[in-house]
Formats: sequence, C-alpha cells, structure tokens
Amino acid sequence: MGPLIPQEIIAEGWNFFIAFVVGVGFGFVLEQAGFSSSRKLAGVFYGYDTVVLKVFFTAAVTGMLGLLYFSLFDWIDLNLVWVNPTFLWSAIIGGIIMGAGFIIGGYCPGTSVCALSIGKIDAMVFFGGIFIGIFLFGEFYEIIKPLYMAEYLGNIKLSDVLGVSQGTLAFFVILVALGMFYVAEIAEKKFPRKEY
Amino acid sequence: MLPLKRLTAILFGLGLVIAFVPENTTKQYKLTAGEMLTEIQFGTEMVSSDELADWLINKDPSIQLIDIRTPKEYEQFHLDNAINIPLNQILEDEWVDYVDQGIKMNIFYSNGTTLSHEAWMITRQLGYENNYVLQGGLNYWTETILNPSIPSPYSADDEIAKYEFRKGASQYFGGDVKSSTSQSKSKASKPKIKRKKKKKAPQGGC
Repeated sequence: MGPLIPQEIIAEGWNFFIAFVVGVGFGFVLEQAGFSSSRKLAGVFYGYDTVVLKVFFTAAVTGMLGLLYFSLFDWIDLNLVWVNPTFLWSAIIGGIIMGAGFIIGGYCPGTSVCALSIGKIDAMVFFGGIFIGIFLFGEFYEIIKPLYMAEYLGNIKLSDVLGVSQGTLAFFVILVALGMFYVAEIAEKKFPRKEY
Repeated sequence: MLPLKRLTAILFGLGLVIAFVPENTTKQYKLTAGEMLTEIQFGTEMVSSDELADWLINKDPSIQLIDIRTPKEYEQFHLDNAINIPLNQILEDEWVDYVDQGIKMNIFYSNGTTLSHEAWMITRQLGYENNYVLQGGLNYWTETILNPSIPSPYSADDEIAKYEFRKGASQYFGGDVKSSTSQSKSKASKPKIKRKKKKKAPQGGC
C-alpha cells in the first residue's frame, strides 16, 4: 500500500501540505518537551540531562521498527522509501561541525527555530548563524565541492554494508539504544545539576 | 527507572521478533487494474509485422525476439535469433535478466497472440518495461510478410507500397516458411542488466 505519495494514493501536491502539518506538530512537541532550552541540549554533552538523546533514539527506534513491521505486513514497500545517499566525508565533517555547534550554541537547527518562536534571544543569534553558514557554504561551494562530493557511496543502508538482514541490524540498533539509555541514566545520577 | 525497564522489555521483544522473521521480499504489483486497462486500450504493447520486418532487415541490434511457445514448436520453426522462453517458465529466475531489463526491446511472439499477450500481461504487471507483442503472431507474420497477397490494381498507393515492401521482405526472409527456418539454435547474448529505478522516492531530510 505505502508509501502513499510515490504510489500516488495521495497526490504529489499534498506533499508540502503534509510536511507542513507534520512540521508544526514536530515543533510543538519539541517545545513542549523543553527542547527550546539550550541548557537542556547542552546537558547531553555534560551528562546532567540526557532527555534529548533518549527522545531522538526512541524516535529512531520507533520509526525503524514501524517501517520493518509495516513491510512485514505488506503495508509499505521499502524499495520505494527514499534512502539518503551517503557522501562519507560530508557526513563525517558535517557531523563534527554540527556536534560542535550543538555544544557551543545549545541548539540543533530544528530546536533553534522552536526557541526562536518563543522569543529566545540566543536562538535568534543561533538562527542568524545558520544563515551565515549557508551563505558561506554557497560562496565557497566551488572550493568545497571536491570534498563535499567525495566518497559517494550511493543510497546505501547499513544492513547492506554489514551484510546482515535489516531485522538483525534493527535488533542491534535497539541493543545499542537501550545500552545508551542505561548509560544516560547513570550519567544523570553522576553529574546532577540543580539549577538550569 | 520503571519506565525504562518497561521500554526495554517492549523494544527487546519487538526487536527479537523482527530479527528472526524473514524479510518480506514479495513484490507488490506495480500497475493497478485501471492503468493496465489503459495500456491495453491504447495497444502500446503491439508491434506490427511490417515494423518488425523493417527492424530485422535493418538488423536493429536492440531487438530481442522471444518465442513464447513450447520448446518443441520452437524447434520446428522459429524466427531468426529468437530465444525460447516457454510461457510456463517465464517467471523463473533463469529468464529474469531477459524480461526485466532496460536495454533491448523484447518482442514476444507465439502462433497467435494469446500466449504472447499473456506473457506480456504477466511481465507488465510485475512492472517490467520494454516488452512488446508481435501483432497477429506467427500466423499473421506468415500471411503478410512471407506470403503477401497481391493487392488489386485499384488499391490505394500506400497499399501497393506496402505490398512492395512485403515482397522485398519476403525475399529477405526466404519467402517460403520452411526454408526460412534457421536450424542453428541461436542464443542471443544476455543483455547487461541495467535495472531501472522503479519509481522515484521523494527526497527528504531532517
């Protein structure tokens, strides 16, 4: 049956509208969960608050299990689900930059918009920074391009690279996620911080 | 700590199940009944015997003739360079690379058109492209290309032109059905597999 838009069960024109509705819901939940506080996000790095890590890993695991079970029941054709292409160096360097920005600024791009919408000044500065980054990237694109496009691996999945079935890999991801949850719990006890 | 334990139990259970069930590899049907009907109505899958004759005379390398009949019938008579994929074997792995590819133009033929249409419908339902049906089958091929009937002198010009072409084609293909068979079992080279991306998935990201 699914995915609904590539199968043309829902017309392509609805794409942006659905994205808009999901986006608004996502932003609302982020804000309600307190993700608009930069201290909460930086807390992951210092270990006093690991809610962000738990939420995103829970979301990933839920999505992963959902897709696999849906595929099992023939509700979705996984071949039609878009897999982001991997550019290895882009992913590594981008990850480092994003991680650094996360610790320094206390936001990820999504949560910064969240915090901006409730009027946080640091979020406004962060948001401005995003646009400076976009501008610089655009200006220096020709110079960065070889690195940006390097090590193109196509639309690969981790399960293909490791040569295991998707289900087996999912099980290992769950084990890793659960392990991280337990470590996070311990970290929160070990580095408690009262006022933030 | 209790919610975490509960979460662990649920995720571990679901994960364990998904790790051990086989992956769902069933191919979903790519065409709806409505889309199929449209294709049939427009007859886009049809190749006329004149078109085919023209391509064969010009030695069009992209043409791949596929004989859908039984091996016995294939032995008795088949068109030059045709390969034999009996209808009951068409879904077998051995032939997937022939019927699901993006390079050659496969033309199914049988004596009439029933078998070849069945083959075409099955492969089309699976989403394979580049498969066509020889209009009228071998019977019509014999009638029009090998033994063309002389049009009346009062026929329209294009009728006569068609006959001229068919007469030439008949000479090229040997005219007489029996002598036009090639006894050598020709097996065309396997086309390189270049699977087309099925349907574009929408791009997305964080």
